[in-house]
Order: sequence, then structure tokens, then C-alpha cells
Amino acid sequence: MSGYNPSQRRPDGAALAMAGLLAALGGVILWDAARLHEIGGYSGVGPGDVARWIGYALLGLAIWSGIAAFRETPVRPPRQDVVSVLWVAGGLAAQILLLKTAGFAIATGLLFAFTARGFGKRNLALTIPVGIIFALVVYLVFAGLLKLTLPAGPLEHLFLGK
Amino acid sequence: MKHTLFAGMMAAAFALPAYANDYMIMAPASPGGGWDQTARTMQEVLQADGISTSVQVQNVPGAGGTVGLAQFVSQNAGKGDQLIVGGFVMVGAILTNASPVSLADVTPIARLTGEYEAIVVPTSSDIQDINGLVEKLKADPGAVSWAGGSAGGTDHIAVGLIAKAAGVDPTKINYIAYSGGGEALAAILGSQVTAGVSGLGEFKAQADAGALRILAVTSEERIPGVDAPTLKESGLDVVLQNWRMVAAAPGISDEQKAAISADIEKMVNSDAWKTALETKGWANTYLAGDAFKAQLDADIASTSAVLKDIGLVK
Amino acid sequence: MEALSFLMQGLSVAMDPMLLLYALIGVTLGTAVGVLPGIGPALTVALLLPVTYGHDPAGSLIMFAGIYYGGMYGGSTTSILLNTPGESASIITALEGNKMARAGRGGPALATAAIGSFIAGLIATLALAFLAPYVVKVALAFGPRDYFALMCLAFITVSSAFGDSARKGLISLFIGLALALVGIDQLTGQARLSFGVPQLLDGIEVTTLAVAMFALGEAFFVAGNRATGDDQVIAVKGSVWMTANDWARSWKAWLRGTVIGFPIGALPAGGAEIGTFLSYAAEKRLTKHPEEFGNGAIEGVAGPEAANNASAAGTLVPLLTLGLPTSATAAIMLAGFQQFGLQPGPLLFVTNPQLVWGLIASLLIANVMLLILNLPLIGLWVRLLTIPKPWLYAGIMVFATLGTIGANPSPVELTMLLIFGLMGYLMRVHGYPIAPVVVGLILGPMAEQQLRRALSIAQGDVFTLVGSPLSATLLAFSVLALVVPMVLRMRGKGQMLSQLAAEED
Repeated sequence: MSGYNPSQRRPDGAALAMAGLLAALGGVILWDAARLHEIGGYSGVGPGDVARWIGYALLGLAIWSGIAAFRETPVRPPRQDVVSVLWVAGGLAAQILLLKTAGFAIATGLLFAFTARGFGKRNLALTIPVGIIFALVVYLVFAGLLKLTLPAGPLEHLFLGK
Repeated sequence: MKHTLFAGMMAAAFALPAYANDYMIMAPASPGGGWDQTARTMQEVLQADGISTSVQVQNVPGAGGTVGLAQFVSQNAGKGDQLIVGGFVMVGAILTNASPVSLADVTPIARLTGEYEAIVVPTSSDIQDINGLVEKLKADPGAVSWAGGSAGGTDHIAVGLIAKAAGVDPTKINYIAYSGGGEALAAILGSQVTAGVSGLGEFKAQADAGALRILAVTSEERIPGVDAPTLKESGLDVVLQNWRMVAAAPGISDEQKAAISADIEKMVNSDAWKTALETKGWANTYLAGDAFKAQLDADIASTSAVLKDIGLVK
Repeated sequence: MEALSFLMQGLSVAMDPMLLLYALIGVTLGTAVGVLPGIGPALTVALLLPVTYGHDPAGSLIMFAGIYYGGMYGGSTTSILLNTPGESASIITALEGNKMARAGRGGPALATAAIGSFIAGLIATLALAFLAPYVVKVALAFGPRDYFALMCLAFITVSSAFGDSARKGLISLFIGLALALVGIDQLTGQARLSFGVPQLLDGIEVTTLAVAMFALGEAFFVAGNRATGDDQVIAVKGSVWMTANDWARSWKAWLRGTVIGFPIGALPAGGAEIGTFLSYAAEKRLTKHPEEFGNGAIEGVAGPEAANNASAAGTLVPLLTLGLPTSATAAIMLAGFQQFGLQPGPLLFVTNPQLVWGLIASLLIANVMLLILNLPLIGLWVRLLTIPKPWLYAGIMVFATLGTIGANPSPVELTMLLIFGLMGYLMRVHGYPIAPVVVGLILGPMAEQQLRRALSIAQGDVFTLVGSPLSATLLAFSVLALVVPMVLRMRGKGQMLSQLAAEED
């Protein structure tokens, strides 16, 4: 809160963006509800009705958010280290893409390494092998001993012999 | 050096031979449910009796089995080692979800087990028999609330068929859908609804304990140990079996189909399978070949007709 | 007192040293797997159930009871220490518990959770033993309109978990309600907000959303704030044990949590998380330290944790008396019972008293064992926070995704995990509370379905909603819960409170 001078008041960008998102979400819900068949049967409240209530409420919240953007003092969010966040998110994306083909251990090993990278361990040559070994141990415990079905790739086949 | 070793390992791992009678069974549902249990029982029996050396089960849950079915059809065309477990619920789900793939896209092998539906009321109800219920339904369909499983499922279809057979407009039925049998059973026991429809197994223990009255069952003939008439002998022409089946991949050759059918037949005739069915309380309703195909087509036709009548499918 | 003698008989059987060892193995395994972030009790029990195969029935049953209670308890540890609840019933624990852990009070938070779970488990197991036949009658009397009234009460009281800004809290809640629309409408079979994607037809899994928004969102948030160094966590400050003051503030919360949690667990359509919501709301209303709520109030951990475990025992009421599994965990337990030739149902207490009382005795022993195991381990768990962050969070990400991959390894599910994780991160950055999103996703469909069922049974008559004494009473409470704080606020008391809270930002 400190260091912000309320005299140079500009609209709160984050609140405005939220207003826009809420309006869009509300609009999509109303559009989707409009194409539903109203087969509410005896209740008088069909599947579209509840959706519509929520849609209108979202539009109302969008207006509220828009007004607040101009009238309330914006709370400035803490400065974010975007690159770190992207490393972690990238790790997840890599896991999703590789899971089917490379198997659990390799895909999850990359998630492990990229997350560590996001938290400041930069040496991927160290963290990737550590991650793969860690994920492989997790795989062997959960799939081997506990029979949890996890996607298997070449490494897993090698260790479970199938 | 490291790289060549690694590449060698990869090659070795990928080049695993697939045995002719290995199977991968897809259970298009979460672990623990009926289809999953069917798949896992098959796995056990096929391996224990040496019919197959290695059987794996894969769960692909979602949308009444249609998510798994779509994946099965798109990935396995022509493969003779892929099986999928399914059931009557899938027939309805394919229609209500407007699924792009249907049971016509797989190669049906055999019906394995089945369960009949039961119509019940709480013991405290003034309805004594199925005719009493039908009379109420005819007088004011809205006043008869039916509890059962999800919309468009077997239970809902049964109610639609009963209404139709009784000459009541199926769109006028007051069906209250619950998730899973447990919640519906609680609603029936608590007299929140007029009547309940679900698999006989859901109600049997409560009926034996005197909390529920079974008005009728949907089988062709009376079921031993159940003190209730069939719908048919009560003058309502409704027979409905909630069956489970096994099917193979689309586009397989006749030889592949014959081999799978032979393996399944061996499995069904094994003692291990019979014991497993008995402990799980499943009825053996094995039906294979053209007889099953004909039964399947008839079920699909009647289900799509009744779902249109109820108004769930346009 | 036939019941009592059966219980004593069961206990004496279970005191066999070999069986005690089984109990110890059970709780250790249950805690060990349950403690992993992203892996909740249902998955824990499902995974470990086969471990109990092949022993004699008494041994299996007792080990199984240990796994069940161990798994239920394990989730609270990561919830408190790492802000990563593995399932929806420990979300509320994370709210206050993690604030305590960050301030170096992780030890007392874990202790109050462990002791609260023990006491709630003990009382609720005894209630299960002696009151089950009566409780189940009340539970069956709950019709759709009564559930709807209960949901209204939950919605209104839970709003106290929304933080300082009513606008931000409501936005979070309605995002949750909007997400709840996704999938097939259960009552008519129509797809809503699914856009033709078949994987969306089953809706958004509560566990996926909870793990994404809490565990992943937290990891993103900590990564994003790394540079500023705002996020220093102190592992231990002061004693790792509870002080006299902690005890004084906890014991009433434990008892209240038990009283709230047990009956809600016994309702066929209840769900453990609703008990934790209501318990948290009750503690927040009754506390003498309102300024601490949101910053690590020990009552806010003690109450919900007790409620969580009491409702775990409550779920066994419909399971043992009616054979009704009312939660995912209960469904898996049913499979577990069947494995021992125990067919839960209305006749179980009559036909098989030894086994039922053996099970209840096992649960009591597992509960004691859990306390013995976990109190000494608290000092060790707290050390988790001293693991260097790169390794700690890398490990959290692995386990958080493992739970989802194990349950449903579809790229769509994992992509949802990523999207909701980023959403949780952005909401954290901009000060929107996370818990209401999950609350909306859980309560929204329940409220909608029960409303429509109630109206359908009454053929559209709106007055049915106040037509039963239960529903009328619950709705009256809801109105009171809504109006009283407004009146207080108008009289100025509320303003002072919200100012106090706002200064914490």
C-alpha cells in the first residue's frame, strides 16, 4: 500500500480485466443455456434456468468489478518473477506432451527438473537425471507394488521387464 | 558411448514381442465400477486358466463409457489383441451424448453377465402390487415419482417402457435421477418418492430385511429366491436386462474374431469364471455370435425408440 | 448391554500382539501414502487395499482400519505444512493451518489436527457403535428439500471463509459455480458448457480443481515471488508442542467439530467437506480471537480436522446399517468389507455381530495407534519445510500430478490441471480467495439437483421448500446467519472488524 499516490488515480487494470473476463464467461453461459431443451419436467426449473441465474449473476459481478476499478484504490500485486512461473508451467506442459510417448518417468523427470529450474536450480544436466531417477522410483513403487496404472515408456518396460 | 547404450536400451525396450494371445482390455469407466470389475475378473480368469499369458486392464472413464469407446475405435482398428468391456448403459449414453462412435463401430464378441431391474416401494407404502402402481400412474402420472439412476440410464429406460406398456404418455413420467444406486435407495427407504427402479441387487438385501416391497422384476421368467412377479405376467410387455459384454476392435479379420471368440468361450466355461460370478452375485447370461448380434440390434432399436418417447433424444 | 460385551470381546481379540503389529503397519502405510500431496484418502485406500489380502480376516480387517484412518489423517499434514490439500475435506484445514505453519507454528497445528482427529475419531466411532440405528433414521428422513436447505445454510455460513472483500469472495464463488455447470446435467442428461469435448461431459473433478488451485497454484505463486523474498517460511518458532493456551482454545473446537461432522457424514448425500465448512464457520463466529482468523487461528484447524474425521466415521453409519456407500472412500471400503465376506446391509448387525464389533474395535485401536505414531513424528514432519525449495516443490509437483495421472491419465485432465493451476496463481496474485471456487464447485451441483428434485417431487409447488420441519428450521437458520452480521455491521461493530482485517494486507 505504501508508495502509491492516490491523487494520480488511474483505473485498476486488474479489476477491469476481471470485469471483462466475468462478462465474457457470463455471456458464454447465457449463450450455452439458450440452446438447451427446456425439459424441466415437473420441477418447473430446467437445466437452462440455473445456468441463466449464474450467467446473470456473473454479468452483475462484472459491472460491480468495473465500477470498483474506477472507485477503489487498487492494491498493487507483488512484483512477479514471470520467468520462474513459466519454467514450472513449461515443466507441466512437457509432462503432458511426453507422457504418452516417453512414459511416466521421463515426462515426470522433466517436470521435476523444470520445476527445480523455476526455483533456482539452474543445472539441468544434474536435475534431469535426478528427476528421472526419482520419477522412476515413484513409478516402481506405485505401479510395481501398488498396481496403479501409470503410462509406461521404454524406461519403465526396461525395469518391469514388460 | 552413453548415448549408444541408451539408444540400445530404447531399441530393446520398444522391440518387445507381442504374444498372439496377449490381451489389453479397456474398461471405459473408473476403477471399482461394474465394467472395471468385469474387466479385472476377465483378466484374472484368462491368466489363471492359462488361456492368455498376459492380460492388462486399462481404465478410460467418462460419459457413460463413450469416451473410452471413442478412443478404442480410433486407436485399435484391425488389432486382434484389444478388447473393450461395455454394457447396456452404453447404448443409452451413445444416444443421449450424441456420441460420434457407436457400438456398430466395434466387433461384438459376447454378452457375459446381466442383471434384471426391480420395481420397489417402501414397505410403508399403500401400494401393494404392480397393478396398484400402474393405476396410480394412469390416474395422475405426475403424482408418481420414480427414483433411479442417472437420466437416460437403464432405470430411466425401464420407467419409460413401463409407462408405454401401460398406455401412459412416457413424456409425462416424473423421473427423479440420482447419482448411483446408494442415493436413490436412501430416497426410496425414506419415502421421499413413490417408487424406485434399479438393479435387483441394489434392493435385494433391503427387501429381505423387510424395508422394501418388490412389486415386479423385468425378467422373462420369475427369478428364484425373489418373491415378485415379472412385468410380463402382470400384463406389461417389458423385458429388460442390464447386460455387460465384451467386444473387439473394428476391422479385425474373421480368423482374429474366431480366435478371440474361442478364448472368451473357454473363459466362460472355466470353473474360475463360474466361481467368480457366484461370489460377485452376477448372473451368467452368456450369449455369443449371431444370437448376441441380433439381441444387441434389438436393444439398440428399442432403446432409441424409448429415449425419443421420453424426450431425451430428439 | 449386549453391545458393550461384544465390543469388549472385539477389543480383547484385537489386543493380540500380532494384530497390534498389523494395526501399526496399516496406519504407517496409510499415513505414508496419504501424506503425499495430491493423493487423497480414497486413492490411498484403493491402492493399499490389496496389501490386506491374504492375511487372516481379523488381521486384514485391522490393517484395513489402520489404512483408512491413516489415509484420512495423512492429508492434513501437507495441507498444513505446504498448503497443498490432497482432497476437498482438508481444504479448510489449509486456510488457517498453513498460516500457522508459515509463522513457525506448524508443530502446534499438526498436534491439534492429530489430537482433534483422535478425539473426533474416538467419539464418532463410539457413536457409530451405539447410535447408528437411530442416526440412520434421521438421515433417511432427509429429503431433497432438506438437503437444499442445508446447502443454503452452508453457502451462507461459508461466506465467512471468503476473506475481506465481499466482491472478490463472490467472484471466486461464482467462478466455482460456473465451473460446476460443465458436463451432463444429471437430471435431464443434457450437456452444458461442454462444447462437444467428450472428456468434459463428466464435469470437472473436485480433486482436479482442488489439487490444481491449491498445490499447483501455490507452487506457481512461490516461484513467482522468489525474487522478492517475501515468502520466507520459518520452520519452527517456539515449541513444536501445543501450549496451555493452544489446548484451551482447541478442546471446544474439537468437540464442536465432532458434533457437526458426525451427522453430516451420516447423511447419504452429505460429504465430509460440508462438515468442515460448517465447522470453520462456527469457529469463526464463536472465537474470542476474530482478528487471528485468516492469519493462523488454531480453532480454525482444530474444528475442521475434527469434523473431517468425525464424518469419516459418520459415513460408516449408512454403510454398515444400509449397505449404502455415500462417498468415494466409502465405496472402496465396501469393496474392502466384501473381501472379508462382510456384506454390509440392514441385517449385518443382527447376522454378523462379531465381525461388526471386531471392525469397530479395529477402528478404535487404529485411532489410538495413529496418535501414538504421529505425535512423535510431528517434529520430523516440520523439518519438511527445511528441504531446499527447488527439491521440495519439484517433489510436490511430481506427486500432485501423480494423483491425477493415476486416476485418469488423459491429456485433457492434465491440461485442466495446468489451466486451473495458472488460474489459482493469478487469483492469488490479485488477492482473490481460492477456497470459494472449490466450495462453489462442490455445493453448486448439490444445491441445484436437490432444488430441482424437491420441486419435481412436489410437481412445481415452491412452498414445498419450507414444507418439512427440518427444511423450515434450516432455512430459518440461514436467514439468521445472513441478517445478523448485517445488523451488527450497521451498528458499527463489523466495520471495526473489517478494518482490522484490511490492515493485514
